[in-house]
Amino acid sequence: MASPLTSRVPAASPTPASTSAAARGGRPRRRFGGPGQIVLYVVLSIAAIGFVAPFVLMVSNSLKTAQEIIQVPPSLLPEHPTFANFAFVLQNSPYLIWYRNSLLVAVAVTALTLFTSSIAGYIFAKFAFPGKNVLFVVLLSTMMIPAPVLLIPSYLVMNFLHLLNTLWALVVGSIVSAFGIFLMRQFIAAIPDDLVDAARLDGAGEFAIYWRVILPLTGPALAALGIFTFLGSWNDYLWPLIVINDQDKMVVPLALTYFNSQHAQRSDLVMAAATMAVVPVCVVFLFFQRRIVNAFVLTGIK
Amino acid sequence: MAATTTPTTTPPAASRTTTSLPGRRRQLAFVYGWLAPILALFAVFSLVPIGIAVWLSLHRYNQLAPVSPFIGLRNFTYAFTDDPAFLNSLAVTGKYALVAVPLNIVLSLAVALALNHITRLRALFRTVFFLPAIASAVAASLVWVPIYDPQAGWLNAVLNLLGLSGKSWLGDPGTALWSVMVTSVWQDLGFNVIVFLAGLQAIPLDFYDVAKVDGAGVVSRFRHVTLPLLQRTFVFVFCLTTIGYLQEFTRIQVMTAGGPLRSSETVVLHIYQRAFGDFQLGYATAMSLILMLIILVIALVQMRILRSRWEY
Repeated sequence: MASPLTSRVPAASPTPASTSAAARGGRPRRRFGGPGQIVLYVVLSIAAIGFVAPFVLMVSNSLKTAQEIIQVPPSLLPEHPTFANFAFVLQNSPYLIWYRNSLLVAVAVTALTLFTSSIAGYIFAKFAFPGKNVLFVVLLSTMMIPAPVLLIPSYLVMNFLHLLNTLWALVVGSIVSAFGIFLMRQFIAAIPDDLVDAARLDGAGEFAIYWRVILPLTGPALAALGIFTFLGSWNDYLWPLIVINDQDKMVVPLALTYFNSQHAQRSDLVMAAATMAVVPVCVVFLFFQRRIVNAFVLTGIK
Repeated sequence: MAATTTPTTTPPAASRTTTSLPGRRRQLAFVYGWLAPILALFAVFSLVPIGIAVWLSLHRYNQLAPVSPFIGLRNFTYAFTDDPAFLNSLAVTGKYALVAVPLNIVLSLAVALALNHITRLRALFRTVFFLPAIASAVAASLVWVPIYDPQAGWLNAVLNLLGLSGKSWLGDPGTALWSVMVTSVWQDLGFNVIVFLAGLQAIPLDFYDVAKVDGAGVVSRFRHVTLPLLQRTFVFVFCLTTIGYLQEFTRIQVMTAGGPLRSSETVVLHIYQRAFGDFQLGYATAMSLILMLIILVIALVQMRILRSRWEY
C-alpha cells in the first residue's frame, strides 16, 4: 500500500510499452494472429461465455412465465417472453423507493467523502501544524481494522444517536474515510508548493486556494475515490441489514433479499427484481468503463 | 515535516518561514477550522467504536439484559472452549480462504496473462470479466441460486446432458460451501485481473528481449522475469483477497444462510447471528477481535513470505 500513486501512475499507463514495441517493429505480440494467439482467443472466448452466462440466464428467467420457470429441464430462452414479472415487482413492492434510497445514500456519501477527503488531504499534504504527524498516524492505523470489528460498536453509537432505522445511519458514519484522506494526501503532495504560494501572494484566501487551485488539479484521484465510494455504498449489504428495519427505508441490496424471502418460490419474480438492480449499474459502468478501470489502476486497490 | 510533502521542499519551506504572522494565523485557522469537524466525525464513528469494541469484549453485554458485568477475558476463552459453532466457523472460513484465494489468484493471473498477450479485443474481454464485480454481492448471489437449483437448475440440466447425475448443490453439506465459492470467484475475478494486467503492462518489454537472447523459454521467462517483477502486485492482490475472503458474509448469508448443518457458516456470519439473533453483543465483539488478530497475523506472515521469496 506504500506510495500507490507516485509509483503506479506512470508505470500503469500502457503507452510506454506499446510505443517501445512499435518502435522496434515487427514484435510477434503486436501482430494479429499466429497459432498461439488463436488458441488464446478460443480459450478466452469460452471463459467469457461462461462469465456472462449467469447474467443471460438471469434476464432470460426474468422474462419467463411462472409455469415455465419451474419446467424441467429449463429452457434457455423464454418461450413466451413477458414483462409481467417486472410489472408485478413494481406494483407489489416499493422498488422505486428502494432505488431512490440507494441513489440518495450513495450520492450523499460520495459527495461528502470527496469533500472531506480532499480538504483533509490538502491540509495534511501542504500545511505544517502542531499535532499533524500524530493525527495522521492515528488516521492511518484505523485502516487496518476490519469492518466486522466496528459493526456492533457502530450499531450502538447509532442507537445512542437515535439514528437507527433512518437513512442517516447509512450516511453519517461513512463520510470521513481514512483511506480517502490518505489517497488524496498522496496525490496532492505531488502538486508543487509554488502554486499554493503564488495564489497566496495574489491574496487568495485559504479556502479559495483549496477550491480554485488544488481541487481542479485532483480530477483523476477524485474520480477514482468517487467511483470506489459510490460502488461501496451502493453495494453495501451488512450495515443496512443491521440498521434498517422498515421496508420503505431499505436500499436495493437489502430490499433484494427481503423480496427474495417474501417470494422464495417465485424465482421468475426474484430474477426480475435482480435484473432491475444489476442492469442499470452495468449500463452506467459501460459508459464510465475507462474511468473505472483507470481508477483501479490508479489506486491499485479494490 | 516538510520532507513528508515533496522531495524538493527547499524554496517553499523557506517561503513558509517568512510568512507573515497574520498569514500564519490565517493558515492555522483554516487548518483547525476544517480539520476539527472532520476529525470529530472520524472520532465518533471510528475511534469511539474501537473503544466500545474493547469495552464490549470484556463484559457480558446482552442488549436485553439489565446489567453488564465485567468478565475479563472470559468471552475469549469461552469462544475457544465452549462454543463449538465458533470453532466450526473458523474451520469453514479457513477452508473457504485456503481454496478460494489460490483459485482466484491463479485464474485471474491466467486471464491477465492471456489478455496481455492478445492484440485485439482486449478491452472487450476485460469488460466481460469485470462486469460481475460491478453487481452487488446480493444480486450476484441471487443470480446463482436458480443455477444451483436441484430441479429446474441449469447446472444439473447441463450435467444430465453430459450423462452425469446432478445434486442439490446448496442443500448438500458436502457441496454448499464450494458452490458459494464458485460464485465468489466468478464475481471477484475481474478486480484482480485488472490489477494484474496493470502490473504486467508496467514490465518493460526489454526484459523479455534480454531473456529471449539468453535462450529463455516461455516458462522460464514467466518464472524469472514476470513473477519477480510482478512481486509487488502479487503481494498486494494476495493480501487483499485473503483479507476479503476471511470476512466473507453476504454471499454466504444470501445463498445458504450458513447451512446446511452449519457447513457454510463463516466467522462473520456466526458473529452476526450471535449479535443480532441472540443479542450477545459482548461475546460477538470478542469474536470479531479474534478474527481481527487472525487477519493481522496472516497478513503479516504473507507479506513476509512473499517479500523474502522474491526480493532481489
